[in-house]
Amino acid sequence: MELIPVLLMKRVYLGEFEEIVLLVVGMLDGEAYGVQIAHEILQQTQRSVRLNQVHASLQRLEEKSMVTSVMGDPTPERGGRRKRLFQVTAYGRQTLHDIQAVRTTLWSLLPDSLKTLPSV
Amino acid sequence: MKQASNPPSPPAWATRLLRWYCSPHKLEEIEGDLEEEFMYQVSRVGMRRARRDYIRHVMGFMRPFAIKRKPTTPSASVFTMSLYKHYILVALRNMLRHQIFSGINILGLALGMTCCLFIFLWVQDERRVDNFHASGDRLYSLYYTHSAHGETTAGYAIPYFMFSNSEKPRHDATLAEDLLGEIAGIQYATPYATSYELPWGHPMTFQVGETIHKLQGSSATSDFLKMFSFPIIAGDRAKPLGDVSSIAVSRKMARMFFDSPEAAIGKSIRYEDVRDFMITAVFEDVPQESSLQFDYLVNWEAASMGGVEFSDNKWPTYIQLEPAADAAAVQAKVRDFLERRKPEKAEFTVALGMQPFRDQYLVSNFVNGVPRGGRIEYVRIFTGVAIFILLIACINFMNLATARSLKRAKEVGVRKVVGSSRSHLIAQFFGESILLSFLALACSLLIVHVLLPGFNTYTGKNIESPFHTPASWAFMAILMVVTGLAAGSYPALFLSSLKPARILKGILRFSPGATRFRKGLTVFQFALSIMLVIATLVVSQQTHYVQTINLGYNKENLLYMRIEGEMGKFEKYAAFKTQALGMPGIAMVDRSSEAPHAMGFVIAEPIHWEGQQEGEEVGFKPTSVGFDFIRLMDLKIADGRDFSRSHATDSADAFLVNEEAVRQMKMKDPLGKWVSAWQKKGHIIGVLKDYHTHSLHEPIKPLIMDVKEYEYFGVIVVRTEPGKTREAIASLEKAYHDTNPHYPFAYQFLDQEYAKLYQSEEIITRLSNTFALLAIVISCLGLLGLVMYSAEQRTKEIGIRKVLGARVSHIVGLLSTDFLVLVLIAFAVAAPVAGYFMWQWLQQFAFRIDLSWWIFALAGGLALMVACLTISVQALRSAMANPVKSLRSE
Repeated sequence: MELIPVLLMKRVYLGEFEEIVLLVVGMLDGEAYGVQIAHEILQQTQRSVRLNQVHASLQRLEEKSMVTSVMGDPTPERGGRRKRLFQVTAYGRQTLHDIQAVRTTLWSLLPDSLKTLPSV
Repeated sequence: MKQASNPPSPPAWATRLLRWYCSPHKLEEIEGDLEEEFMYQVSRVGMRRARRDYIRHVMGFMRPFAIKRKPTTPSASVFTMSLYKHYILVALRNMLRHQIFSGINILGLALGMTCCLFIFLWVQDERRVDNFHASGDRLYSLYYTHSAHGETTAGYAIPYFMFSNSEKPRHDATLAEDLLGEIAGIQYATPYATSYELPWGHPMTFQVGETIHKLQGSSATSDFLKMFSFPIIAGDRAKPLGDVSSIAVSRKMARMFFDSPEAAIGKSIRYEDVRDFMITAVFEDVPQESSLQFDYLVNWEAASMGGVEFSDNKWPTYIQLEPAADAAAVQAKVRDFLERRKPEKAEFTVALGMQPFRDQYLVSNFVNGVPRGGRIEYVRIFTGVAIFILLIACINFMNLATARSLKRAKEVGVRKVVGSSRSHLIAQFFGESILLSFLALACSLLIVHVLLPGFNTYTGKNIESPFHTPASWAFMAILMVVTGLAAGSYPALFLSSLKPARILKGILRFSPGATRFRKGLTVFQFALSIMLVIATLVVSQQTHYVQTINLGYNKENLLYMRIEGEMGKFEKYAAFKTQALGMPGIAMVDRSSEAPHAMGFVIAEPIHWEGQQEGEEVGFKPTSVGFDFIRLMDLKIADGRDFSRSHATDSADAFLVNEEAVRQMKMKDPLGKWVSAWQKKGHIIGVLKDYHTHSLHEPIKPLIMDVKEYEYFGVIVVRTEPGKTREAIASLEKAYHDTNPHYPFAYQFLDQEYAKLYQSEEIITRLSNTFALLAIVISCLGLLGLVMYSAEQRTKEIGIRKVLGARVSHIVGLLSTDFLVLVLIAFAVAAPVAGYFMWQWLQQFAFRIDLSWWIFALAGGLALMVACLTISVQALRSAMANPVKSLRSE
């Protein structure tokens, strides 16, 4: 089932923010959920994100079959509510790799003058 | 710490808001995340900021992805589809199982809807009149309001010659022209005078070669055809009525005289055998939905310079505003246009008003000097009646469905137990009633289709198959849904509210409220029917009264024809009279300046009398007749003597007046006193007994009569011998052709013309007859259903009673009494209401019937009798049934 969109889609578009969310989901390795992802992004990139943005991208990523989710166990700090835990799918991993490959190729083609930052 | 005693919590209202808008399948994770974040923020930045953040987050989640509900799965929609199928199946099964009930329901609704549809068609047709002109929203009719001595009169015909700012009245001045010259914002203006409106109107005679026809037309200016959308199909489009001799004719008229509209252009046509017109334009036949009807238009100047007669020296004027003009501003300037021009010593005030032209057809009566009422009242009455009848039919439905609801209560119970929600049940019952109303609509469309030709002749309309316009479809859709909802509302809401446990235990009874509700509906229904019956009786009684009242003259065997052409010359008229009198079938021939049954002309200023006080005025109906008129009409003389040829002075000096005139002139001993009318002064030789010179809407007016045999206008009145009408007409036709060869012989029977004065009453009578019948039939259908139901409910009771020795009459009484009481209550409600409205209606007649008790008694008795019959059919059947059968069941 999940293969069909892969085959049909020639080029997967992943927004910059979606890419970051996807990477963070991967990084958290099975423990990723809304608030946690938002905090992690803030910590790692100094980017302040709003919760609804995170939820919206997670939903989009799930629609694109790049992440899957299961409901976790209830926790007391959430008033006994369950959290939805996200995990990167094989297709998501493949996409990340593709993006990385494109970046690497393009990077290698940069002239040397651009590869180094000008010294301050 | 503080925290321990008072645990931090996010604002409760924000959480409620979130729970309200958020899709259920997302709520848990989002709410959890928000709370976790809140707790985290409390520990980091404190309670206040955390709470603020929480609110911002709640607001932030108001996005489609969080709000959007999870789409229903395909299996679920298949489920609902099959549910709907099931509902329809259940509805159909129910209908088939209770054929009589469904039949009564559908028939009742269909009758009500048919009635509604017909009235809708009629109203739509009425509203279409004058609504087709391209610049319709800029077209206005002018009307004028004249106040003197506390009395206000108003009308569309404006006597402009009185206001032309000069010593001598100029009869050729037109208001249209002067308005155009003076007031900015008016684009076009035209006078419009018909040659055919009462009191002196009649069709004119046209001749080309040997072809002679009588046609009705009007005079106007070229502007007229630019303002109104009567398209020109041939001839001069820029100036269709260019000069005095030009005439524009309709396609029909062109075809009457020439081969084609094009062939007619430039041809000459003879008018009334006095002058020739040249056809300059041909316009499309005037559509039926125009209130202005004419077959030709002649140039206004031809009319004002003589040669073409028109009804009076006052006439209507129409204007069209500039596209950008502000109607209110123009109105303000038009208002005192006449006031500024009135003669200096005039003791009256006048105002000129503007009424949108498209409203004129429906609103053409004047109340206190402004247009109010007219045909619009009929439109309102019939719309009301349509709603009434539909209501009665809906009530039937509700009543039957409610009565039967006990039978379906088990179904409701089972459905509820199996898990149907109340909204599902409501939808189911509404669906059923809409299905029924759909079937009823289909029936009524069929009926409408079949009856439409009859309806057209009935109302004198020409409505074509109506179901082409989107408006009709929209109306029918609304009719269907509204009827379905109204009819189904009580059963749907009542049945769905039942408690399953009680229903299934079988202890359900109607609450007293529900029973009272059903009885109330029946009372209401019968009250409406009885009201309609009373209205029908009153209207038809009044119509009968005006048709049979002693008018003061004998209107049988009378016919009259217009004096025109050669007949206007005295010696020709005299020759005709002599010739006709010698022919078979003719008893008497004489003349009158106005048709004797409908004298329209009333005038006060030129008439004076002996002993008249300064400033005293009496509106008289003046008429000039021949010597034999009194005997011909069979008028009674109260005092004095008739005109007589043997008195030499009678043609120059004699006047007759009626008793009303004597009263209003306050004359004692009128015989021999002098009176004068215009230049003629003479003496009263006799007093006529009051007789009706016009319709019974108005009281008898003062009448003044003299002898003038040489007038060129008026009518020739002929009394034929009883039973010899055919011979008389043949004789007259021959004599007429000998005298007046250029005019077709045209005559009217006076009694028929008299009946036409009450045409609108006639139409109301017919329609109210139909509607009252319909209302009664529908109500009885409902009653029948209820009685059948109640008999069915009490089958066992009746059986036991019979076994114990009850007689048939006793059981019939048992079943009927309840319902007959309802009819009586309905009568008590309806009688005063109907009485009040009919009393109001009768006020428009100066001569009217009394609202006597027997009308009410008859209506009540009729309703009671019909109800009795309806009930007794079923009651007898149940009472005669063999108790063995009824007690054996179960």
